[in-house]
Amino acid sequence: MSKRMATLILGGCLAGLLGGCTSEKPPLQFIPNMDNQPKFLPQAASTFFASGGVMQAPPEGTIARGDLREDEEFFTGRSFWSGYVRANPMGNGQQVIARGRERFGIYCTPCHGVRADGQGMLFTRAKIKTANLLEERVREQPDGKIFEVITSGLGMMPAYNYPIPPRDRWAIVAYLRTLQAQASPASGP
Amino acid sequence: MSPVTGEQGKAYWRSLERLLDSPSVSGGLAEEFAPGAAEPPDGMTRRTMMGLMGASLALAGLSSCRRPVEEMVPFANPPETMLPGIPRQYATTMPLGTSAYGLLVVSHEGRPVKIEGNPLHPSSRGAAGSWMQAAVLDLYDPDRSRGVLRRSGGKRSSSSWAAFLSFWTQRAAAAERTGGAGLALLSEAYSSPTMDRLSAAFKKRFPRAQWVVHEPAGDASLFEGLRRATGTPLRPVAHLDQARTILSLDADFLMAESDSLACARGFAAGRRVGSVRDRMNRLYVIESAFSLTGAAADHRLALPSRQIGSVAAALALHLRALGLPVDLPGDLARPPVPAALGERLAVMARDLAASRGAALVMAGRRQPPAVHALVAALNQALDGWGRTVSFHRLLDAAWAKAGAIDDLVAAMHAGTISTLIMVGGNPVHTVPGHLRFAQALGKVEQSVHLSPRLDETSHLVGWHLPRSHFLEAWGDARAAEGTISLVQPLIRPLFQSRSDIELLALLVRDADIHGLQTVRETWLASVLGNTNFEGRWNRALHDGRLADSAPGAVKPRLRPQAIREAFEEAARPADGTGLEIVFQVSHAVHDGRYANNGWLQELPDPITKITWDNAALLGPETAADLGVKTGEVLSLTLGGSRLEAPACVVPGQAEGSVALALGYGRTAVGRVGNGVGTDAYRLRPGGSLWATGLRAERTGRTHPLSLTQEHGRMERRDLIREATLAAYRSGDGPAPANEKKGVPLPLWRQRTYKTGYQWGMAIDLNACIGCNACMTACQAENNVPIVGAEQVRRGREMHWLRIDRYFSGAPEDPSIRFQPVPCMQCENAPCEEVCPVGATVHDQEGLNAQVYNRCIGTRYCSNNCAYKVRHFNFFNYTKDLPDLMRLAMNPDVTIRSRGVMEKCTYCVQRIHQGKRDAKGEGRAVRDGEIRPACQQTCPTGAIVFGNLNDPESQVVRLKSQNRNYTLLDELDTRPRTSYLARLHNPNPRWPGRKGA
Repeated sequence: MSKRMATLILGGCLAGLLGGCTSEKPPLQFIPNMDNQPKFLPQAASTFFASGGVMQAPPEGTIARGDLREDEEFFTGRSFWSGYVRANPMGNGQQVIARGRERFGIYCTPCHGVRADGQGMLFTRAKIKTANLLEERVREQPDGKIFEVITSGLGMMPAYNYPIPPRDRWAIVAYLRTLQAQASPASGP
Repeated sequence: MSPVTGEQGKAYWRSLERLLDSPSVSGGLAEEFAPGAAEPPDGMTRRTMMGLMGASLALAGLSSCRRPVEEMVPFANPPETMLPGIPRQYATTMPLGTSAYGLLVVSHEGRPVKIEGNPLHPSSRGAAGSWMQAAVLDLYDPDRSRGVLRRSGGKRSSSSWAAFLSFWTQRAAAAERTGGAGLALLSEAYSSPTMDRLSAAFKKRFPRAQWVVHEPAGDASLFEGLRRATGTPLRPVAHLDQARTILSLDADFLMAESDSLACARGFAAGRRVGSVRDRMNRLYVIESAFSLTGAAADHRLALPSRQIGSVAAALALHLRALGLPVDLPGDLARPPVPAALGERLAVMARDLAASRGAALVMAGRRQPPAVHALVAALNQALDGWGRTVSFHRLLDAAWAKAGAIDDLVAAMHAGTISTLIMVGGNPVHTVPGHLRFAQALGKVEQSVHLSPRLDETSHLVGWHLPRSHFLEAWGDARAAEGTISLVQPLIRPLFQSRSDIELLALLVRDADIHGLQTVRETWLASVLGNTNFEGRWNRALHDGRLADSAPGAVKPRLRPQAIREAFEEAARPADGTGLEIVFQVSHAVHDGRYANNGWLQELPDPITKITWDNAALLGPETAADLGVKTGEVLSLTLGGSRLEAPACVVPGQAEGSVALALGYGRTAVGRVGNGVGTDAYRLRPGGSLWATGLRAERTGRTHPLSLTQEHGRMERRDLIREATLAAYRSGDGPAPANEKKGVPLPLWRQRTYKTGYQWGMAIDLNACIGCNACMTACQAENNVPIVGAEQVRRGREMHWLRIDRYFSGAPEDPSIRFQPVPCMQCENAPCEEVCPVGATVHDQEGLNAQVYNRCIGTRYCSNNCAYKVRHFNFFNYTKDLPDLMRLAMNPDVTIRSRGVMEKCTYCVQRIHQGKRDAKGEGRAVRDGEIRPACQQTCPTGAIVFGNLNDPESQVVRLKSQNRNYTLLDELDTRPRTSYLARLHNPNPRWPGRKGA
């Protein structure tokens, strides 16, 4: 075996070892190809704004086109004059309940459980207590109050105004009412 | 001959030099890329450039060959209705003097990026001009001032609003004891209920204080003219769509006058021709400097501004002789009318009288009040009141009163003003030079200036306060006919700034109050009242205007004595000898307020095509008398002031009259605008926008002007087509608009485009007024870089859409034609055939697409493009873009790097957005749903885009007119962009012109 052959094998082994190494550094980039442009995509970081991100909440009191919420009760669940909304503005038709079941399944069951009894994954796995929505306390609340809690959260529960649009929130309220009706008051734990 | 091919014997020329075929230009830019086009800027040679690059390349090799780490910063508390990546629109209002323009602003994740017109607002109706489009760049200007500055004892130190508040509280308490004697407030003109309420409160708190309004080029002359004629200051609002015969006396109502958007819309509506049965209005223009309105005219007369008053007076006598009820006594002497006018004035008067009830006379802000008073009487005699023109009370408004600024400066010189508060404006720059405002300011004990940047005035005051941009402040404004709208902020103030309203509230109430609260107080007290306040407020905020808030027109009575006096004053020949100088509101920087805006500075002047400069515009004869050519520096002397400005010879400029744009020659505005052009204010003798007694002399030096007019040549091709209305009507049937020269022999197999969407565009040259709004809209939408004056001189401007200007006729009496030229999106694109790397290819919807990442910069495509619409990035123009300006970039459009070719895409990002929206709703794209930026902003609706496979679409209907033609059709490029020939409507009785 020649010396040259040995060098090659040794070099090959070293290269193989290197290939196994991981690096914390970003990948090499020889031709930038306009990958990084001097513009800001959504959620980009910014050195200019104090928040560190380029996204800015709109100034208080402004109204975007299409965001005119003239029906105060529909969008907040309450009105200044008459307090919480008692009757669900979406009604409780078949389609509304079906939509509510689907949305409830996505957003509510992880904590409150499929039957809304507070026995969701969060309780069964992590033993974190969540509200039992079948309780008398919740049954007596007007629809608008429940809508408001979904909108802005309560205690440990975060606000769901961002992922759930108002129509779906009302649908969830309608579905919750059917769950409460199905479960007899005594069956609650 | 087809009715819309180029008229036989009519020659079009791009400039005087081209017409005379002077060697200085034809040698220069004959090639696609001017000699030395590969040279770097600022005269660096390739060798020095490589030397410098060597160092930076070596560093780059070490540091940045790894991909930069990008972070994501989501909202901690996301606003309910804002989804990242989905732009939203907000209605707001841009106040400008006593006018206001309703806008819709596109916000990307809470930052304004693109400005459009608000279709609901009466002054914009969905259109936006260049000043509005470019406002977003002013918001993100890195040269804006960032905090309060205090200057005492010659030293400047940073301070705070709290410090100013405590300063003012003490000062105000002292001033209150004397009733505000020695206190003066200098503001800009406004038309706003909240400003008016605060102004009243200020005057109530300090009864002896002065409130002076200074506006360098406002509409005060119009209001004063109507005050003389009727007893109350009124604002005339023209309804051009109702007018059949229009006469403009020095009024550039399509561009420089207030509310030009509404005027342009109405004017185009009166000229829209869909078939040979349609009627067109007729426009006569008498003006000194060539304006857009002059270019749109059917008959134009160039006359110095000083003689236009006597024309108005002579017209009054002509109309009276025709039996119209002009309320003037019989014993008036005939005014001296220039011989050049001769019989033409009588012909014009007969035409106006014949369309009584649909005739309109307009006078420009350059003309004195007497002319406006007389014009009001003429319109009444022509039965135009209530039809072609209506009069509106100036509600909640303040405007400059004649002589008020002179009195204030005199009081400052005399030392009787101890506290001067300047709310906006830049008086050191804009107050006529002979008043010596800067010295007077030195005699004021305490001076305060609210200003967006550290300008000429800010450097001399005790307190500099940063002023909020209208996109970050609350406010309200009234449009011309009285509609109230709210100014809604799009973003919180970027710096420690306050709006005019916030400063005034502080001055009145000794407290730092948020603008929203102040505006709501006004609306609660006097605009909306208590009933359902929230609901109506929200509706007005959402819509961008308060419906039915215009109080309606008034029916004034003319005072015969005043009209007689106005007649005599107008008829009196202007005294003074020598040349006349006319001060123009700049198409770009207005009165100087937009001087640091790169988009506007690089926008070519519609008439002269000058960028990054102002020049003394001269007629060819005047220039010959002085012995100057374009680019030679003139020395201008008026009274005791002297100024040097480059000359620019413009055919059609009134002989004996020199025009110079205001607002240039700034010394402290920022990196973009400092030292650009000449400061015309130094020459301006008073409030008037023209003066006589100018002396002009050669200096023998030259100044390079960055003109875009010479870039590209027309080689006597048939690019512009027009016909008279009469010829168009008599032309039998839809003749083929294009006469094919030779048989096309295609090189490749022809593709058919029969399925799916096939995009196309039609540009109606009959509606285009050449106002440049589309160019600015395109620049804002497509992240088109600014290249600077030096690069423009080399022919490297990057505008994807340009507006070509052609002269026609004799050089003594030329006409101007405009032609917007975007990419033609040829079906047989010559650029695609020569690209060696397939960087420019066709898609199935007929778009000629440019793949930036494939482009290696051979520039073959640009060389082979017949229309010269491709632009090459000779440098990385955006590499050093400040962080703040990156906020203005449209995230939906790639920012091109060095060495890449780019061109108009028909706003492909908007096409895809429209297709996505339609797909989400399970339907096809509706006609008119996708509008490129140029179409969207066009005030006259000249540009129409749509699907060629939809026989009902507007673009197909336009293209099926027999005025339709394509550029350079003989090349068989099959452009998707086509033009509709221009029509004009000359008076067959016009002397010296062949009848149609």
